[in-house]
Amino acid sequence: MLEHFHVPGADRVMIRREDLFKTTADIFAAMGMSREDAELASDGLVTADVRGCETHGVSNMLRNYLQSFAEGKINPTPNWKITKETSAVATIDADKAHGLIICPKAMDIAIEKAKKVGIGAVTIHNSNHAGMMAYHAMRAMPHDMIGYAITGGGAVMVPTYGAEPRVGAVPHAWAVPADKMPPFVLDISSSSVAANKIQLLRRTGANLPPGLMADEEGTPIMEEQEVPSGVRLLPWGSTRELGSHKGYGMAVIGQVFSGILSAGLFGISVPPGNGSQFVAAFSIDAFRDVNEFKGSMDEFLTYLVDTPPAKGHDRVYYAGLPEHEETELREKNGIPLHREVIEWFDSETNRLGLESIRRI
Amino acid sequence: MLEHFHVAEEDEVRIMPDALRKTVNELFVKIGFSKQDAWQATDVLLLSDTRGVDTHGVSNMMRRYIAGVAEGFMNPTPNWTITRETPTTANVDCDRGLGIAVIPQVMELAIEKARDTGIGAITMSNGRHAGMIAYHAMMALPHDMIGYAITAGGQSMPPTFGAEPRLAPNPHAWAVPGDKEPPFVLDISSSSVAANKIELLRRMKSLTIPGIMADAEGNPIMDEREIPPDNIVLPNGATRELGSHKGYGLSAVAQIFGGILSDGAFGPYEGGHMSHFVAAYSIEAFTDVQRFKESMDDFMKYLRETPPAMGNDRVYYAGLPEHEESIDRHERGIPLHHEVVEWFDSATDEFNLSPLER
Repeated sequence: MLEHFHVPGADRVMIRREDLFKTTADIFAAMGMSREDAELASDGLVTADVRGCETHGVSNMLRNYLQSFAEGKINPTPNWKITKETSAVATIDADKAHGLIICPKAMDIAIEKAKKVGIGAVTIHNSNHAGMMAYHAMRAMPHDMIGYAITGGGAVMVPTYGAEPRVGAVPHAWAVPADKMPPFVLDISSSSVAANKIQLLRRTGANLPPGLMADEEGTPIMEEQEVPSGVRLLPWGSTRELGSHKGYGMAVIGQVFSGILSAGLFGISVPPGNGSQFVAAFSIDAFRDVNEFKGSMDEFLTYLVDTPPAKGHDRVYYAGLPEHEETELREKNGIPLHREVIEWFDSETNRLGLESIRRI
Repeated sequence: MLEHFHVAEEDEVRIMPDALRKTVNELFVKIGFSKQDAWQATDVLLLSDTRGVDTHGVSNMMRRYIAGVAEGFMNPTPNWTITRETPTTANVDCDRGLGIAVIPQVMELAIEKARDTGIGAITMSNGRHAGMIAYHAMMALPHDMIGYAITAGGQSMPPTFGAEPRLAPNPHAWAVPGDKEPPFVLDISSSSVAANKIELLRRMKSLTIPGIMADAEGNPIMDEREIPPDNIVLPNGATRELGSHKGYGLSAVAQIFGGILSDGAFGPYEGGHMSHFVAAYSIEAFTDVQRFKESMDDFMKYLRETPPAMGNDRVYYAGLPEHEESIDRHERGIPLHHEVVEWFDSATDEFNLSPLER
């Protein structure tokens, strides 16, 4: 993540992964989820924090989730079902399940299908926010498969040349295993930044960098200024000249695979709090010898990190490498949370009669 | 396409699609393609030129294809083979065949698999140039399927923070049918512009456009200047702050699904080696087809009816401008640069064919 999105040092409280996991699971369980589901959801959320994807970790998301439980938008005990199925694909009505529950379960179905026929793909509707999409894609990797995950969403982003938000900042995530190198994990929103990075900027009091949002008339804001009100994200590429139609297009295709393919949902037709997703697993063995593939991945990824850096830079990365390194650091040193987030945890655990979160 | 990529009116010669089709087809036969392959390759080029995707039409590509066969790195009569197969997948060795002839045949196979199981996906090694990959994705449309196509290979684009090209601006294309609305067809390179748009700019004697290329040391060029002889296209997003890691990442994903998954290819491509990947998703396997198409119509209408931003008069969706361009070019002909038409004349002369009809 870019430096201006990090928690400032003075506001940091360090929490161990297992402690954050426990308290988060306790809170989910207190919302009425089974212990098993609560731990599944907690693992997804805390994995985002461990990987340094703060935008999709506990800080932004957990309080939103609690509100959704309170408003009845998330069903803690969903009776989700498969409504259509072939050997390779399925469609799921999630019965308002939390996305952090239904996506891993749908991915498991996709993985089973991929084991049998080579590929499995599942489209999901009537669910909810799904957390960090990389988590669901990464579930395929221990099975020697490539994972793919998309979540559709409400209208927060303007189309290229448009003045009104009509698409989500729909992210696509791919996870590809290698042999000795950390896996390639690409998780990209189709906007310049994820919608809740704007929330993070507001919380940290930082200015809006150029190229991220449009003004009220739809004109891309290309100079640093205060964060404006409202949410009009620009598609990845910012302006047509720099390729914003590519971000806009990626958002539409993501919405097609999740919302339209599952239940015809997009933009205004998405009920508040309603989410839709798409997950797929591609068995490597169905295409090529697994060990040869992983060896090639190592060579490819090494070739990329060995690129001579441009002036002013000391390293070249590939997607998933910084997150892997961040994970190693945070597993050892703990996860830095904003003290305001910790205070929120304390008030919630107090309200719900749970043990308070343990600090390092 | 942006205005500065268009052929200037005083330089254009209008050619009707049927006339161009005839000459291109004859040229492919002359360089040794089978009748079927020549028809197929011509069809891909013509769709690019009628849809206004000039970078992947005859102007840039035809002379390269002829050179590719003449220099021996492209096989005009490929015997492509399946090296591994499951109900939903296959791995194909393209035998150095030109992508615009081979990939459509492979896409047919993916469509067959999708009809049986819901999905078909095929990776291809040892291929040559794929042309406009939207063509391959669009083949799924008449079958009520969503099509997907990738091509990968070579290196002209640096990773984010890198000073040396290590990947190509590998494109991804998706095609999704609507009911009455023109289909959604997204065909995007993972750079700001396709590499051969820079060639097009050079031919038009245009300046650089900020954010599309780096100098030879990897520094993004963020102003307008003469196009330097040594340049590298930047990943879409231009800088890390604007999301260049997304273009870099999409390029790597394409290289993985095409190159690594088929036979491990990446990096410099020897002899024009390219890798491809195609997939077809049967809509019927997921949901009711008619409902899906009507939802697509509603969605696409909702998008193009977005109030335009100040200074703009319309909002589009991917595939809509190309659809409209196609109607116009079928009526008024395809605008080719006079230099391209002159090249055609010399080529038909060399191969003893009747000249391209104006």
